[in-house]
Amino acid sequence: MGKLKVFGKLTLVASMLVSFAACTKKQNLDEKVLNLVVASEVKGMDPIYANDLYSSNEVARVYEGLLEYEYLKRPYTLAPNLAESMPEVSADGLTYTFKIKAGVFFQDDKAFPNGKGRELVAEDFVYSIKRLADPKLQGLGWWMIDGKIAGLNEWRDKYSKEDVVDYSETIEGLKALDRYTLQFKLSKPFPQFLYSLAMPFTFAVAKEVVEFYGKEFLNHPVGTGPFVLPVFTQEKRLTYTKNPTFRKKTFPSEHSEEFASIAKENAGKDLPLVEKLVVNIMKEDQPRWLNFQKGNLDFISIPKDNFDSAVTPDNGLADTLAKKGISLLISPQLDVTYVAFNHDMDLFKNKKLRQAMALAYDSKTSNKLFYNNTAMSAQSIVPPGIAGNMPNYVSPFRERDLEKAKSLLAEAGFADGKGLPEITYDCPNSTVSRQQGEFFMKNMADIGIKVKVIQNTWPELQKKIDKRQVQMWGIAWGADYPDAENFLQLLYGPNRSPGANGSGFNNPQFNELFKKASLMQDTPERTAIYEKLNRMASEEVPIIYGVHRQKYTMKHGWLKNYVSTDFDAGQAMYLDVDLTKKAEDLDKL
Amino acid sequence: MSVAVAEKLVSKESHSQSKSLWNHAWESLVSDKIALISMVIVSIYAIVAILTVTGVIAADWSQEVGASYEAPSAAHIFGTDIFGRSVLLKTIKGTEVAMSVGFVTAIVAVVIGVALGGVAGYFGGKVDDFIVWFYTMFSSIPNIMLLVAITFIMGRGLVAVYMALGLTTWVNLCRLIRAEVIRHKEREYVQAATAIGGGHSRKMIKHILPNVFHIVIIQFSLLFQTAIKSEVILSYLGLGVQGRPSWGTMIDDAKLELARGVWWQLAAASLAMFVVVLAFNLLGDALRDALDPKLKGKS
Amino acid sequence: MNTWLYVLRKLIYTIPVLLGVCFLIFLLFNVFSPDPASIILGKHATVKQIEEVRNELGLNKPYFLQYLDIVKSAFTFDFGRSWQTKQDIWDMMKQGAVPSMTLTIPGFMISTVFAIIISLVVSFYRGKLLDKGTVILCVALMSIPSLAYILFGQWFFAYKMSWFEISGYESGFPYFIPYIILPVLIWVFLTIGPDVRFFRTIMLDEIYQDYVRTARAKGLSETTILFKHVLKNAMIPIITYVIIQLPFLILGALLLESFFSIPGLGGITISAVYASDLPVIKAMTVLTAVAYIIFSIITDVLYTVVDPRVSLK
Repeated sequence: MGKLKVFGKLTLVASMLVSFAACTKKQNLDEKVLNLVVASEVKGMDPIYANDLYSSNEVARVYEGLLEYEYLKRPYTLAPNLAESMPEVSADGLTYTFKIKAGVFFQDDKAFPNGKGRELVAEDFVYSIKRLADPKLQGLGWWMIDGKIAGLNEWRDKYSKEDVVDYSETIEGLKALDRYTLQFKLSKPFPQFLYSLAMPFTFAVAKEVVEFYGKEFLNHPVGTGPFVLPVFTQEKRLTYTKNPTFRKKTFPSEHSEEFASIAKENAGKDLPLVEKLVVNIMKEDQPRWLNFQKGNLDFISIPKDNFDSAVTPDNGLADTLAKKGISLLISPQLDVTYVAFNHDMDLFKNKKLRQAMALAYDSKTSNKLFYNNTAMSAQSIVPPGIAGNMPNYVSPFRERDLEKAKSLLAEAGFADGKGLPEITYDCPNSTVSRQQGEFFMKNMADIGIKVKVIQNTWPELQKKIDKRQVQMWGIAWGADYPDAENFLQLLYGPNRSPGANGSGFNNPQFNELFKKASLMQDTPERTAIYEKLNRMASEEVPIIYGVHRQKYTMKHGWLKNYVSTDFDAGQAMYLDVDLTKKAEDLDKL
Repeated sequence: MSVAVAEKLVSKESHSQSKSLWNHAWESLVSDKIALISMVIVSIYAIVAILTVTGVIAADWSQEVGASYEAPSAAHIFGTDIFGRSVLLKTIKGTEVAMSVGFVTAIVAVVIGVALGGVAGYFGGKVDDFIVWFYTMFSSIPNIMLLVAITFIMGRGLVAVYMALGLTTWVNLCRLIRAEVIRHKEREYVQAATAIGGGHSRKMIKHILPNVFHIVIIQFSLLFQTAIKSEVILSYLGLGVQGRPSWGTMIDDAKLELARGVWWQLAAASLAMFVVVLAFNLLGDALRDALDPKLKGKS
Repeated sequence: MNTWLYVLRKLIYTIPVLLGVCFLIFLLFNVFSPDPASIILGKHATVKQIEEVRNELGLNKPYFLQYLDIVKSAFTFDFGRSWQTKQDIWDMMKQGAVPSMTLTIPGFMISTVFAIIISLVVSFYRGKLLDKGTVILCVALMSIPSLAYILFGQWFFAYKMSWFEISGYESGFPYFIPYIILPVLIWVFLTIGPDVRFFRTIMLDEIYQDYVRTARAKGLSETTILFKHVLKNAMIPIITYVIIQLPFLILGALLLESFFSIPGLGGITISAVYASDLPVIKAMTVLTAVAYIIFSIITDVLYTVVDPRVSLK
C-alpha cells in the first residue's frame, strides 16, 4: 500500500538523523581552550551598562581599568593594572594622580586608521568616565561616582537639558595633565573611590570606536585587554581569542600563603595562558550540570539540588566524582540575604514586633533546606571577610526561640497574632524564592502571624519597593566592593528608596555614625565605628537576616590556577589548561 | 431542486436530530465501558475538588508530617516535599485548582467561541466581517503575551489565570465553528430548509448546531486539559496560582528536585494530571461517537 | 471574482485589524505597564534619573502619540531598543528568528506529516484495536507535562546514552543539526498527540459521508478512497488548523529553547517576561500579529482553492 511506502521513507529519514546526531562533537585537544559557563543572559559589551555580574565579567575580558584586584591575595587588595602604580594622593585626600602605563595598545579594529589599534592615553580615561556621566546614555555605574568628582555633576546637569553633550568641555576634577598623567579631584573625601576604578564601569574605551559604531558600540568591544571578541551576538556561545597585541603582562607574584604553589608554578609566565575562551550561556541547572560532567565545561558552581549527589555530608567530594579527577572548592561570598520590613508602615515601627518575627524565623532549617547547610547564619548585615564583621558576635535575635518570640509578640500588643492584619511577603519569581516565601509563611504561622506570598518579576518587585507597595519582602545584597560601607548603606536613612535602602529604616543615631565613617580612610577607628554600626543593625532588627552564602565550585583536574573570588572580572587570563591531563580525564568521563 | 425533494431531505435530517438523540446518546454512553469509567473518574475529581474547596478533605495539607524530602512509604504514599508536607495531600488539594481552571476556562472559551463563530458563519456579510476582525485581533496576540499583560493588570492569582486562558483559547474554537457552519450552510439540507422557509434561529439551532456540536464537545475536552497543562507553564514563569498547592507549582518544584532523585512530587502531580486528562479525552471521544448525528447507527 | 482582487480586498481589510491589534497592545502595555525606570536603571536609581529616563523614552508623551508609535512600528519594524539589554530589537528578532525556526519548522513538519499519516491509518482501522490503542497512546503522550519530557530526554538520551548534544547551538547549516535533533524529537512527541486526535476526528467525519459509500459501492479500493476522497475533503479543517499555527512557530518554543540553550525568540521572550522588558514584549506581539494576519489571508485564499463551494465574496 502507498501509505506504507511513505511511512518507510520517513522512518529512514528519522533514523538517518539519529545516526548523524550520534556522532556528537569531539573536543579539540590541539590548543588550550577554556570552556566557561554563565547562568544568565549577557546584556552587551558596553562597560557603562555592565551592572550585573555576568555582563561585567564579559566586559572585563576585553576591557581593562586603571586598577584591579590582586588575583592571589586575600583579603581583597587593589593593585595597579593600566596605571603604572598606585596613585599619589594629596594630603587632604581629595586629589589622586595616576601615571598610565606607556606602550598599551587598543586591539586592532576597523574603527582605527588602517585597522591598527592606537596607544592608550590618559585622555581615554577622561573620555570613558565622562561617558559614564553622560545624561543621554544613562550609564548604570553613575551612582558610583555621583557627587564625588568635582565639576562632573554640574557637567551632567548642564547637558541633561540640551540635545548634544559636549565632551570637549574641561572638568575640574577629571583632567589629563599630559599624555600619560591623569588627575582626579574629588569634591569631598570618598575613601571607596579607588574601588570604583577597578569596576568595569570605568574601564577604558576609545572615542574613535564609540563614534564609529554609534549605538551598535555595545556589540563591538574594542579594549586593551587579553582577549578579543570580534562581535557580540545573542548566540548562546561567545568565542574569544587571545589578543595578539596584548602588552607584556606576567603572572602576578604577590600572593597570600594559601596560593603560594600557584604563584610559584606560574612565575614569570606571559598572560593570558590560553589561546581561546568559549563562554556558554546556560540558564537552566540541568544542562549546566550534565555538560560539566561530560567535560564540556571546565568548572561550574554546584546547583543547589545536585548538591547531595556531588558533596558528602562532611563537605568532601563524592567518590564517583573524585575518581574522575574532579575537585571541589568552597569559599565564602560577600553577600547577605534578608527579609525586609517596610518601615514606612506604622506597624513595623514597633520594634518588639520586628524582634518577635526575627525570633520566629528558623534560620537553621532555612540553611538546611535552601543552602544544604553550607551557608553561614547571618548575625548582622556585614559578611565575614571584610572589616566591620565581628566573627564572634552572636545576635540575640538570631536563633529560633518560639517562647521568647511569643512573649515579645504579646508585649508588642499582638498576643498570638491577634490584631495583626495578614502581612504580604513579596519575592522574585524563581522556584527557590517562592519556596523560601512559603517557608517564611510557615514560620510566622507558628506564632500566629498570617503571611501571604506574592511572586513578582524582578522589575515589578523593584517598582513595588520604590512605590512603597510592599510590606515585607525577601531579597539579597552582593558586594559591589569589599568595604562594609557597601552593606551598611542599605540601612542609611537618606539612602531611602529608590536608593539602596529599600526598607526605609531611618535611625538618627545610625545615620550620624554612618555619615562620619563614610568620610574616613581605612583605619582602626573606622573599623570600630563599622562594628558599632553592625551591632546596631543587629539589635534594632531593621530587617530579618538570613545567611551569608558560600560558593561551591567544582572543577576538572585539567583546569589550572583556579581561585574562587567575589570579583572575578579578568579572572580568565590567569587560568590554564593541562591538555595531557584533559585527554586522560576525558576518557574517564 | 424541487420542493418535494427538499422536504424529504429536511425531514430526514430533522428526524435524526430529534430529542431521541440525547436519549440515544445517553444509552450508548452508559453501554460504553470506557466512557462510563471516564465519567466516573471525572466525577470523582469533581467531587474531590468540591470537597477540598469546602475544606472537608485535605484541609490540613500545610501541616508537616515528616522530614524534608521523605521517600514514599506506607505512611506517606507519595513521600514528602521540601518542607516535610505530605505530597499526597498537596496533590489532592491541587485538584481544586486544576478542575476549576479547566472548567472555567473551557466554559468561557466555549460560550464565546460558539456564539461568535455560529453567528459569524451563519449570517456572513458585515456581521462576519466584524466578528472575524474581533477574533483576528485577539488571536494574533500570542497567548503568553496576553497572559503577561493580564497579570500586569489583574495581579497574580486564579482569576487572572481564568481570564487569561479563557480569553486566549476561544478563538480557535470560534474559527473552527465558523468554518464548519459555512460548510454546512452550503449543504443541501440547510438550503432545503431555506427553501421551505425556516427562520434563522430555527435553522441555526435545529439544523446547523447539532452538526457542529461534536467539534464543541471535542474542543471542550481539549480546552479542559490544555488549561490544566497551561497552568504548569504559567507556574514555570512565576505567573501561576499562588499561596496554595497546584499541580503546576509541584511540577515546577520538581525541576529542581529531580536531579537529587526526588521524583515523587513530579510523579504524583503528573499522575493526577494524567488520569484526569486521559479520562476527559476518552469521555470526549465517547460523547462524540454518541452525539454525532452522522455516526448514529453506523458501526 | 478574480483571486488577486480577493487578496487585495483582504489586504485592505487587514488595516482595521492591525489598528485594532495596535490599540489592544497600547491598552495592555502602555496604559497598564510597570515603570521602566527600575529595569533600565537597576538598583541605584535616583528620582531625577527616573524622570530623565521617562522623558528619553517618550513615556511622558500624550497617549495618542504613543499609540501612533506602535502603529508606526508595525510598518517600519523600528521597535527601538530593549530596556534590558539596550540592543536594537529588530536585530534581536532577526538573530533569534532563525534558530527558533530551525527548531520549530522541522518539528512542526514532521509532527504534521506523521499525524496525517497516522490518522489516515487509524481511521482506516476505525473501531479496531489499533485505532483505540493509538488514541489512548496519543492521549497518554499529551498528558505528560512538557517539563518532564525535557528533563528526562536531556538526562537520558543526551547524557546517559550520549546520542545527542546536551545543549547548545551553532549557527549555519549544517552545524546546527546535531543540537536541534533532540529538541525537535521532544517537540514532535509533545504535539503529535493532539494533532492525531484532531485529524482523526476530521477523517472519520468524512469517512461516514455518503460519497464514500458511493465510492465504495463503485468498487474503488479503500486506499484510493482514503487518499483521493477522504484526505482531499478533510483538507479544509486540516489546513485551517495547520496554517493558523504557523505564525506562532516564529515565537519559538519557550521551554525547549531555555533548556537547550538555543538562542531563539522563545528564549528572548522568556527573558523579556522575567525582566518586564516591555518594548521587546510589545515588538514580539506586533511581529506575531503581522505574521498572523498575513497567514490568515493565505488560509482564506486556500479555502477557495480547496473547496470551490466557498465563494470569493
